[in-house]
Amino acid sequence: MKIDMSGLNMIAGWHASGDIIMMEQMPIFGGYIGGVEETAICDVATMIASFAIFNSDIHLDGPIHIRWGTTTTREPLQIAAHAAVALDLNTDLLLANQYYTLAGPCTEMCLLETAAQAITDTASGRELLSGSAAAKGVSQDRTTGMEARIMGEAASATCGMSIPEVNEILDKLISRYESKFIDAPIGKRFQDCYDVDDVTPSDEYLQVYDDALNVLSDCGLGF
Amino acid sequence: MVARRYVDVFEAYDRFVEGVKMSESDWDYHVIPGNAAMMKERYDINFGSDIIPDDPDLADRLFLAGVDMLLTTGIYNTDLGRAMMIDEDEIYEGIKMAPKKLTLGHGKDKCKCKARRGNSTRKPVIQGGPTGAPVSEDVFTAMIESYAQEPMVDTIVSGVLNTVNGHPATTNSPWEIKATMAEIRLVREATTMAGRPGMGI
Repeated sequence: MKIDMSGLNMIAGWHASGDIIMMEQMPIFGGYIGGVEETAICDVATMIASFAIFNSDIHLDGPIHIRWGTTTTREPLQIAAHAAVALDLNTDLLLANQYYTLAGPCTEMCLLETAAQAITDTASGRELLSGSAAAKGVSQDRTTGMEARIMGEAASATCGMSIPEVNEILDKLISRYESKFIDAPIGKRFQDCYDVDDVTPSDEYLQVYDDALNVLSDCGLGF
Repeated sequence: MVARRYVDVFEAYDRFVEGVKMSESDWDYHVIPGNAAMMKERYDINFGSDIIPDDPDLADRLFLAGVDMLLTTGIYNTDLGRAMMIDEDEIYEGIKMAPKKLTLGHGKDKCKCKARRGNSTRKPVIQGGPTGAPVSEDVFTAMIESYAQEPMVDTIVSGVLNTVNGHPATTNSPWEIKATMAEIRLVREATTMAGRPGMGI
């Protein structure tokens, strides 16, 4: 619930120019705010502020875990979902969420983390999914189009499902990867799992992708 | 009281200048956690174990707790060391002022971002890209093209060019500006190479 003058001045320029403004904020779970409920309360307050004070047209959320630096652990997913549903039921504000997975490209864990968040964001009524910064978004060249593919496929498969059904799938799915956080695979760089000239994923990555789809099907997501 | 008009960024600046002065550490360690804990108790917010809430009453209480948090606490400006306040009518005016749909991109590649309600059967907009992760100059265009060519992807979110013309894109330097401008050009080049030149970026 803070902003600096650089942020304020950038908004002023975009607002005066009539640009579409997507305002980003990432509440940190596990810091001084408190637990999941307190973090979600601050998340809702800040989302409202982005529209009611700072002329945002769409808000980009991203609750993040202080220990793991990811948006795909159980607590950040729960915060994002509760905050989104609270605003979805009471407003028509446009809400987005961004993706930071612990595992990197060309690993099943990375795809399952991405899918879990896409399922959560879709079922909680968000309008836009933005990602993915694989390998926590800090490792150079460790992001590829295949992570966005699973984000879209999982979102599409989730549309229209009942919330209890989605919660059941999420519980199974998160259990598949949360025990691996301590030694999560960093994965491959874009140039090591794609043909860069032809911009096509490697056979290895296609196989990993197929395996991830099978896990999602086992958890109850229909494709 | 009825709001005079919605608050914008210019009004926000004026309110920051006139706002209550306090240290950032007071804000971080006392004001925010104290008020958040008070709202949790006042609105009886307890999540339980479900990731997605299936209780509309809990969702309504969380919304009211968020509104109350903003009303009670305001927003802090870290450079000015002051907090601005907003009243309840202004909050609801601002919510009314916000768009309920946007068009992203142009031509045949544009997409509409419209308010969904619950788990609608309408897919959310998929914005693909590195989401601010660092990317090498030599693979930047190809990497962005790998997103733009995905049928599920509707718009692009950029990564961060690590270097421009071989120079580090150092924060608060002219190279940062050059790198930012280069990113925009290269993302547009990538969507064009993927056959979707009008995608929103």
